Amino acid sequence: MSIHNSINKGKAITVTIDGKKCKSTFGKTILEIARENDIYVPTMCYLTKVQPIGSCRMCVVEVEGVEGMILSCQEKATDGAVINTNNDMIQQERQNIMKLYNVNHPLECGVCDKSGECDLQNKTMEFGLEEQAFTARDQYRPVENWGHVSYDPALCIMCEKCVRVSTEITGDEALKVKFGGYGSTIINTKQEKNYASLGEAAAVCPVGALVNTDFKYTSNAWELSKIPSACPHCGGGCQMTYEVKNNRIYRVTNAFEFSSLCGAGRYGFDYANENVSKDEKAFNEAVAAFKNAQSIIFSSQISNEEALILQKIKEQTGAKLVSYEARAYQKFMEAYSTITGKSLYGGTLKALSESKAVIMMGTRINDDSPIVKYHINMASKWHRARVAYMHPLEDNEIQNIVTQFIKYEAGSEEGAAALLAEALLKEAELPKSIRAFLDDLDIGNLSAESNIGEEELETLRRSLIKKTGFSLVVGSDLYAHPRAVQIAKLLALLEQYAGFNVICVPPAGNAMGISLICDLDDEAEGKTVGYNAPADFTLSALGDGDLDMPAMNQQEGTLTTIDKRVVPMNVALPYGGYILNDIANALGLNAKYTIDYTKALPQGKGFQAVEFDSLPDYFDSVGNEYRGYLLKNVKVSVKRAFDDIAEIEGFDGAVIYNCNPTEQFSAFTAKSKLLEEEAVLLGSQQFATATKLQDGENITYVLDGVKFNRVFKIDTSMKGTIALNPTFDMGLSGALLSSYRLSRLDFERAGK
Amino acid sequence: MGLEQFKNRNVGTQNYKMLDLGETPTSGMDKFKQVVQRTFKVELFIGLWVTLREMINALLRGQMHTVKYPFEKLPISPRYRAIHDMLRLLESGHYRCIGCGLCEKICISNCITMNTRYDENQRKEVSEYTINFGRCIFCGYCAEVCPELAIVHGPRYETASEQRASFSLFEDMLTPIDQLNLQKEYDGFGAVTPNADDNIKQTPLAY
Ligand code: SF4
Ligand code: SF4
Ligand code: SF4
Ligand code: SF4
Ligand code: FES
Repeated sequence: MSIHNSINKGKAITVTIDGKKCKSTFGKTILEIARENDIYVPTMCYLTKVQPIGSCRMCVVEVEGVEGMILSCQEKATDGAVINTNNDMIQQERQNIMKLYNVNHPLECGVCDKSGECDLQNKTMEFGLEEQAFTARDQYRPVENWGHVSYDPALCIMCEKCVRVSTEITGDEALKVKFGGYGSTIINTKQEKNYASLGEAAAVCPVGALVNTDFKYTSNAWELSKIPSACPHCGGGCQMTYEVKNNRIYRVTNAFEFSSLCGAGRYGFDYANENVSKDEKAFNEAVAAFKNAQSIIFSSQISNEEALILQKIKEQTGAKLVSYEARAYQKFMEAYSTITGKSLYGGTLKALSESKAVIMMGTRINDDSPIVKYHINMASKWHRARVAYMHPLEDNEIQNIVTQFIKYEAGSEEGAAALLAEALLKEAELPKSIRAFLDDLDIGNLSAESNIGEEELETLRRSLIKKTGFSLVVGSDLYAHPRAVQIAKLLALLEQYAGFNVICVPPAGNAMGISLICDLDDEAEGKTVGYNAPADFTLSALGDGDLDMPAMNQQEGTLTTIDKRVVPMNVALPYGGYILNDIANALGLNAKYTIDYTKALPQGKGFQAVEFDSLPDYFDSVGNEYRGYLLKNVKVSVKRAFDDIAEIEGFDGAVIYNCNPTEQFSAFTAKSKLLEEEAVLLGSQQFATATKLQDGENITYVLDGVKFNRVFKIDTSMKGTIALNPTFDMGLSGALLSSYRLSRLDFERAGK
Repeated sequence: MGLEQFKNRNVGTQNYKMLDLGETPTSGMDKFKQVVQRTFKVELFIGLWVTLREMINALLRGQMHTVKYPFEKLPISPRYRAIHDMLRLLESGHYRCIGCGLCEKICISNCITMNTRYDENQRKEVSEYTINFGRCIFCGYCAEVCPELAIVHGPRYETASEQRASFSLFEDMLTPIDQLNLQKEYDGFGAVTPNADDNIKQTPLAY
């Protein structure tokens, strides 16, 4: 069993490995215990983050009193066992395994991308293979290009790591083994687009068989400087490392043994604001603009420190601080806290991956936060978790893990949340007022209006009986909902009274950090300054504003992640212009570097007074995460007051849903050339019929004052009358979208 | 000889042989006699004859020893490490370098810079390759590490130039395609000079 399952703390055991007494707990494998104690056991196919694969036999050890050799990656240690990790026979066995791996392996380390970090190369040296005793007839195996990655079957050692991450982690199950003895290969069954499996698979591939197409043959691994950082695109804040040479990012890698990255994180790295120099005139104008501004509008692409700087500027100039997504999230979490009594939600990604049942609501999770989807997938694959997906729109991409799709009408989230709370809290012990509120609900009416059948929730409720370990994933449809406050409270009941592991997925970038650091206002007024948002005076990291700003990979600072962790980001690329801290200093604040603010992040909100430079950033040898620090969950006062459920205002006719494709999040991912994705309004045939739109037709419409000009395309795999409207290509204007994600489509034709 | 013996500096007790060098003249007459004897011995003419013979060889037999540099150059030892050459494959004419980057890595003065890319034929192509000769110390490590015998030290020792960049690009070092037939294989570090045979002489023990 891998580390994920060893939480069920077994009884303490002691084993002796190579003469060293090792204390551990029952349930762990010999290999895990060895690694905990820094004892080296060679492995080829072992990947900590998935279940043991057991295809290489390199990890064999000898257990005294047990016949034959034992696979240490699979075998659980028993109390008192005496284990030897090496002897002559084992050494010879391992040498033979390496010889077999090397049968007909092309001698092309000289050009191979993996050279220098290749397991096969390293172990061939380690076991001193100077000659090859085996041979086999060579086969013609051409290189295949799968988009983000290319596959060279000649180099593949069939360790199956790639297939396992595709199944157990990313869950799109694109990669499969094509069995055929010596001719076995890996096949990509979903070549129509770049699935998340590709990047993950290339990361875990121990040899040069799967490599990033864009990176291929451009640099040797040892020439690149590694800059540890965190991904700024969604709220995930996943661990990543920029690999840089001559002021260019060549690729992004990660601690693939323990953590994962989605396609946007791995391939969306080239969005830096380059060739910027100090424009003093623009800078002075910016300072003046800040002095005169009545409002500061900003997007979620901002570090914690910058958010604090803006907050301090607000305290100084009295300007309003406006960040729509973060504000909605802030209000949602405030309401949520009034039930739980804690400032943050209780869930973590790790607990999510260990759940026996997961409910998702108000999010198209595969597109909104891939890393959350991966953890739901892990729960599904490792624990056969029941996964209920509650949404107005079905998502084909997660069909393989969803066991029950509960469709509700667009706009009826409050009713849906009430029904869910009512159904799942039937047996819970509740304070009288809440019990009375739930008992008073007009279930029949809610069910009719939201279109959720009572029997659907009953099925869900019954499927959870006799199970423990539930998770609820809440998404950004709900934050900007007109009834967000009430929805938050209803869902908080599940954390508070039914022990749910709840994650309220941050809507974008560093929205969570902003919501904790800034006193946000609802609406802007008067003269405005925008930071990555269009305004009277615009600071832009895209390079299209009145003053340039560094992009996230050009600055140091911290991000707040979905796991409620404050993690460091470092400078990957140089930046020659002015930064927000310069403006702040000109306005009377005083800090030499932006990161001087790291230790000043509000402790009242759970931050710690830690210097940026002393934030750790690593995983230990068994995968425990030491990145930055965890936010403290602060106590807040409890108020159990509910409103009546509002009349549900359904939408009739065609509805559009603001939702980006899987690898896109913002104007910054849109700038990345490896993440090409067409921005089209994507709807079903039914949607086309309802709107009388034809495939390829050009239409315009306005949302929150932002004008969209889109081509409509029919996607035959979709159903219903809701179309997907991407926003990533809208540049800085994307930051202005503030309303509920679903809206009625009022469009004008602009011709074909 | 053991170390013990070697360390023994006591001359008297060891097996030294004394040479019989005759008497050193001390009186004025003896010294004069020695000078006269040496002056009129034929040995003087042996020296004069050598000079005369070389003069005749040079002027009449075309065996001049003076090298008329820069019109004439001596073959240089293959061990000599001058400006690098980039060799081509004789069969295809393609450059030999596979872009493995080992030379770049091993270079102790960090003066090799290269870029590679994935080309249309799915090969690793060397898109840029330069050596900064302002830094190169001609240590030869790059040539030694190259798995393809692609980079070698050529015989080109005349490296005065208006700018160092003059011979630092890949194209400058690469064998010109029309001179592929003249490309010399590098004999390696242990190799001897091409005219080594001619240079063999009897060790002058006869004196
Ligand atoms: S996969 Fe590893 S062993 Fe094989 S050619 Fe590449 S670097 Fe060499
Ligand atoms: S492609 Fe790589 S990860 Fe996949 S089986 Fe082959 S060697 Fe293993
Ligand atoms: S000769 Fe030495 S210093 Fe010059 S390029 Fe080669 S390795 Fe570098
Ligand atoms: S060592 Fe040889 S083959 Fe490798 S890059 Fe240098 S010149 Fe090219
Ligand atoms: S690591 Fe145990 S079989 Fe591969």
